[in-house]
Amino acid sequence: MITCLIVDDELFAREELADLLGQEHDIEIVGQCANAIEALQSIAKDKPQLIFLDIQMPRISGMELIAMLDPDNMPKIVFVTAYDEFAVKAFDNHAFDYLLKPIDAERLSKTLTRVRKNLTPQIMDPITPKRLEHIPCYSGNKLKVIAIQDVEYVFSDLSGVHVASAKGKVHTQLTLKVFEEKTPLVRCHRQYLISPKAIAEIELLDTGAEVTTHSGDKVPVSRRYLKSLKQLFGFQ
Amino acid sequence: MSLILLLTQQMSLYLVIVYLVSKTPLFKLFAETSPRLPHKIFMYLIFSSFCIMATYFGEQTSGAIANTRAMGAVLGGLLGGPVTGFLVGLTGGLHRYSMGGFTEIACAISTTLEGLSAGMISFYLRRTDKSELIYNPLLVCLVTFYAEMMQMSIILLVARPFDDAWELVRQIAPPMLLVNSVGAALFMSMIRDQKTMFDKLSSSFSTKALKIAERSVGLLSKGFNEESSSRVAQIVIEETNVGAVAITDREKLLAFIGIGADHHLPGTPISSKITLEAINQNKVMFADGVEMPYSCSISSNCRLGSSLVIPLRSDTEVIGTIKLYEPKNKLFLNINRTLGEGIARLLSNQILYGRFEQQQNLLTQAELKLLQAQVNPHFLFNALNTISAIIKRDPDMSKQLLQQLSQFLRINLKRTTGLVTLGDELDHIASYLTIEKARFIDKLQVSIAIPESLYHCKVPAFTLQPIIENAVKHGTSHMIEQGQIKVTGKLKNDVLELEVTDNAGLYQPVEGSEGLGMNLVHKRIQNIFGEQYGVTVECEADELTRVTIRLPIENTEISNMDTRS
Repeated sequence: MITCLIVDDELFAREELADLLGQEHDIEIVGQCANAIEALQSIAKDKPQLIFLDIQMPRISGMELIAMLDPDNMPKIVFVTAYDEFAVKAFDNHAFDYLLKPIDAERLSKTLTRVRKNLTPQIMDPITPKRLEHIPCYSGNKLKVIAIQDVEYVFSDLSGVHVASAKGKVHTQLTLKVFEEKTPLVRCHRQYLISPKAIAEIELLDTGAEVTTHSGDKVPVSRRYLKSLKQLFGFQ
Repeated sequence: MSLILLLTQQMSLYLVIVYLVSKTPLFKLFAETSPRLPHKIFMYLIFSSFCIMATYFGEQTSGAIANTRAMGAVLGGLLGGPVTGFLVGLTGGLHRYSMGGFTEIACAISTTLEGLSAGMISFYLRRTDKSELIYNPLLVCLVTFYAEMMQMSIILLVARPFDDAWELVRQIAPPMLLVNSVGAALFMSMIRDQKTMFDKLSSSFSTKALKIAERSVGLLSKGFNEESSSRVAQIVIEETNVGAVAITDREKLLAFIGIGADHHLPGTPISSKITLEAINQNKVMFADGVEMPYSCSISSNCRLGSSLVIPLRSDTEVIGTIKLYEPKNKLFLNINRTLGEGIARLLSNQILYGRFEQQQNLLTQAELKLLQAQVNPHFLFNALNTISAIIKRDPDMSKQLLQQLSQFLRINLKRTTGLVTLGDELDHIASYLTIEKARFIDKLQVSIAIPESLYHCKVPAFTLQPIIENAVKHGTSHMIEQGQIKVTGKLKNDVLELEVTDNAGLYQPVEGSEGLGMNLVHKRIQNIFGEQYGVTVECEADELTRVTIRLPIENTEISNMDTRS
């Protein structure tokens, strides 16, 4: 059985694809998501092997969603698009699988044949954004999208990864590794990444240092990352 | 005594000359309050020749010449200023010197001084802003009197033998003082009268022209047709009091008001030869009824006797004519001729402006059509995808959606860009929303709260629908949470206010494509109803975008106009 996730913001489009996939004996649909935030949650929880991903979605597009996924746990992706000519060209150039809406059953079955033969995820870098602009978060049950320039620092603890901005702390599905690779944030501690723009003060301590952000939060700096942080500001 | 008569005779000759000059355009040169160089030269020539003539025609009296030279010098100085006065006096004086006699030097000096001092007085008056005093005959009389007294004194002082000089002065002083002073005063009063008359005439002329301009403004810019033409013709006839006024386009009579209106019927083709000539040659034609006979081309009983035909031009092309008539028993006033040409220019400009505006309108309508064409494929595509997605699962609903889609397209296809009722617009919106709701399901909630009493209000077609479409396309469709659109309407002092509020708050004024639809709605409303109406947007980022449409209702004149265009 191949576990699969359907991500599309239109209910009828999801249902149609689910109907078509339901006729395949070896495909198991583990979830349907209406946006990127739901998708991130579902990917983390259900770890599907295959994702049917619509690229036109509100706030965070399918492409951005992929950029947010940890490359080590990347599922196989089949893109779905209605009319993004630019994306289609990119898919063709890099031999990515994609479906056009409305979905043609024959084309879907051909795609599935290919997917069954090779479920190894492809390297998505050539078509995904290098930098993340929006960070999907939620506080309580409310979904939130925070612009990356508003983020002061991020940190992980036992309950997951948290994003701190001037407006408070919210939870995110993104890993610290993704933040380190796809945002201007720099690592200052095993569990902390900080935005250089947010640093108001660095106080040197025996164990390393402590940063005070513009919002007044304290962020620890371990000795291992202190040197690179100081160099960032021109200190030796 | 005979000397007085002789001098008076001489003076009368000048006055006749001045009278004649005052009837020609040259007269304006006298009346110019702040003379420029060419005027000064003119003054110098005129008054110098006066002085010279005065010396020539003067009476030989006891070895000297009794004359009216002082008039020329004083007037030259007053009207021309110190330099001109001095030169006039000097010229007159030198000429007098060349004539010889025992007072030659005294006369040369005194004439020069007369011109100069009159010039100084004039200079002083102009400097102290009392230049109108220059034209005061009493002042002129006094100045001349004083100048002549000075001359007499100089003769007594300079001319030798003194006894002869004394005798001479006794003889010539009374008549010269009298005649020169009175003559100069008369001269000036003539100039003043002419000047006043001319000022009055030109001010009544400007008043008339301004009144016509004020009353006719905007009439022809709404269109050059029978209705607007007859209103303009009515204004022109009321303000000018000519016998009749007609306006034609290139082929036919558009309006005729006044004498002969019984047989000059609007709508009939142009029959008058001079009108056709005016159109073909782009030339003002005038049949004064005397040198160039005018006879009505329609009826031999027509009482009209003279006619002025002025082409109306749009750029360089003649688009019609305006004609002023006078009946046979009345002369065609020159002022009406000039005025007529002014009116024609005014009307031409208005027509040109109207055409420009019309083209602007056409442009907006073309843009609107383009917008319709642009929006539809996108929307259509999404709609078809939605229908395709549900067709198997829910054939009934897909059939319903197809019907709504076809309804939406039907309205889009057949709808003109004129006015529709708000109810019609809302029907159209309902079709649109049915399809969008099928696409977004529970992610789009729309509430329309417009009182039914407003459904009959006339609004330009595609006023509200593009704004709602924008709210979906650029607003709620980008939301992760449920998108909510509220549409409200209210009437405030005959102004209809429609509000479309979405909870996305994503409006960004710089975004080009978003601006297009809204801008077009805005421009169209402003075009039809005026600058004080249109579309305004407020946005609280991530909270709401509120678009307000404001337009007047119950304005039948405007709605008629729009359907016509």
